[in-house]
Amino acid sequence: MLAAHLVVERDPMSLRTPLAAFTLGFFAFTSGCGRKEYVRGSQQPGIDSAAMSTGLDKQDIQQMLQENLNNLRMSPVMDTWRKGGGKTMVAVFPFSNETTEHIESQLAAILSEAETWLVESNAVTVVARDRQNQIIADIEGSRNAVFNPAHVAQYGKQLGAQYFLTGKVQTSDERTEDARRVQYFFFMQVIEIETGAIRWQHKAYVTKMVR
Amino acid sequence: MKRHRLLFGGALLFVVASTLTGCGGHELRTIQARSALDAGQPRQAIEHINHQLGVDGDKDLPSDLTGDNALLVLDRGTVQQSLTQFKLSEQDFQASDKAIDMLDLAHNAGDSIGEYMFSGSSSRYVAPPYEKLLINTLNMINYLETGDLSGAKVEARRLAVIQRYIRDELKEANNSILGLGGFLAGFVYEKSGDADEALRWYDDALSFAGYGALSAAVRELAPRAGYKSPRIAKALAEEDAAAAASDDGADVICVVGYGRVPHKIPKRIPIGLALTLVADAIEPTNRRAADRLAAKGLVTWINYPTLAPDQGGYSVPTCTVDGKSIPMTEAVNVSAEVTAQWRKIEGKIILSAITRLVTRYAVGEGIEKVGGKGPLALLASLGTQATLTALDTPDTRSWETLPARVAIGRVRIAAGKHTVAAAARGVTRTQSIDVKRGGWATVSLQALR
Repeated sequence: MLAAHLVVERDPMSLRTPLAAFTLGFFAFTSGCGRKEYVRGSQQPGIDSAAMSTGLDKQDIQQMLQENLNNLRMSPVMDTWRKGGGKTMVAVFPFSNETTEHIESQLAAILSEAETWLVESNAVTVVARDRQNQIIADIEGSRNAVFNPAHVAQYGKQLGAQYFLTGKVQTSDERTEDARRVQYFFFMQVIEIETGAIRWQHKAYVTKMVR
Repeated sequence: MKRHRLLFGGALLFVVASTLTGCGGHELRTIQARSALDAGQPRQAIEHINHQLGVDGDKDLPSDLTGDNALLVLDRGTVQQSLTQFKLSEQDFQASDKAIDMLDLAHNAGDSIGEYMFSGSSSRYVAPPYEKLLINTLNMINYLETGDLSGAKVEARRLAVIQRYIRDELKEANNSILGLGGFLAGFVYEKSGDADEALRWYDDALSFAGYGALSAAVRELAPRAGYKSPRIAKALAEEDAAAAASDDGADVICVVGYGRVPHKIPKRIPIGLALTLVADAIEPTNRRAADRLAAKGLVTWINYPTLAPDQGGYSVPTCTVDGKSIPMTEAVNVSAEVTAQWRKIEGKIILSAITRLVTRYAVGEGIEKVGGKGPLALLASLGTQATLTALDTPDTRSWETLPARVAIGRVRIAAGKHTVAAAARGVTRTQSIDVKRGGWATVSLQALR
């Protein structure tokens, strides 16, 4: 309204001012246009560092896992496993997504990374995932063959596992007029199947924001 | 010198205006898709949308989702749901949810300048609250259809974030979309075993509609939950609640969306009528300038968007299990929400259209003064005004394939195999289900015509 009113009342000789504003506006609206290109991470080392969304990326996953697994390495339960000479059977059960983001594929990546770490530690024998899924399907029924924490004792019995490693990711998601912030809380725990006791638990945090 | 400035000014205005406005409004991009839906051809509608998006198939997303393409992907998501392509619909809703959110967060002063100077459609799209709420609500249906409670819970949580934002930041406490959203989210948490969260959502749903179907569920959940409220207490007191519950069955919910919400269309009205419509709101300086224009009788029309009629208002949706009808309740009247939201901003839209008209006149007058009394100056002035008038595209952007109304029903059936049939506006869907004791199933129909 104000802009329109100003142009009506201005001296025509001062047209340069609105024209300059139009020019600025024009460049502001059209800046950022350009051709897209594919790039390779090995040739551009910083490619992984930029945050692309409020979801979890490789850097977030590595940071959270590193914090938790470093803590597990020093924990009493790990000492117990080492004393067992690698014969303790451990199952890695799905991590539950309790967030506001569809991060199921990232959770699967976390699961695989944790599984790899356990195998490489040589402290335990890890139950194969295919075998686990089969047992879960047998117990839960084929239509809704999803991991149910209430049935872990049954899973463990059929798998012959003594412990299972699992976890969950939760978020605090807040939105204002010009920003959205997602705070992730990543919990991991080791549960003894026979007693249901939590033998180890640790947490890590990551925050993502768009503004 | 003056002439150079005149020509430079005219040329620059033309380039800027051409850059900021498209060839036609959003409703022109979607007219073929809407016509296909009217003819009962959702498959063709998707092909038209794919063409507009510049993609080859239903599973492809455009490389650029930063502009109005996000709206087209939303449109496609609804049509994919009507074709029972639930996984693809999930993908579309997820992609457009993030894109619409980014557009909303990126809204800045430049958009207002574009809106007031060049065209309503030159600013970034800001989704109204009902659209934001419906993205997560409709996507919940996709996850429920595929039996994915974890995915449905993510959508319920996203809905809660947007609900909080709309209540706390936009100060809109009551949006009837939450009636449907609360029903679905409550069901998701009920079936996930979280009684408190389920009751909290059902409480929201009960505040918008009767939802007689919920009283049995509330009665079952209440002993396991600590959550209490006056509405929950009232639902518990309903006499027929106990009779509806039976432990050895499975729950089926049937969701039927039908008709289509009113989309935006461009409208031209004389400046005199526009001034009458916004007589109380227009600033005196703009009013004087507009009055002078009205008196001139030249280039005195304003373009602004308005709502087309909605479709499907008198339809009766039905849903049966093995031929036996499920009582269906209207969960939300989306058309009423669209119209109410539009009424709130219609005056502002007409005002900005008048402002653009005054601006065009002022720019033309300025060029004429710089150029003197000669015919070149008059021609440049009229040419500039005519160009800006032609490029002033009314903002007709909206989520056009939303169902006008959504009805919902819930019933407990015996475990085993059953046939669910839903129908509305001549569109039917028959679905076989096999439910275990204590299990559940969701069957939906979107009759978008």
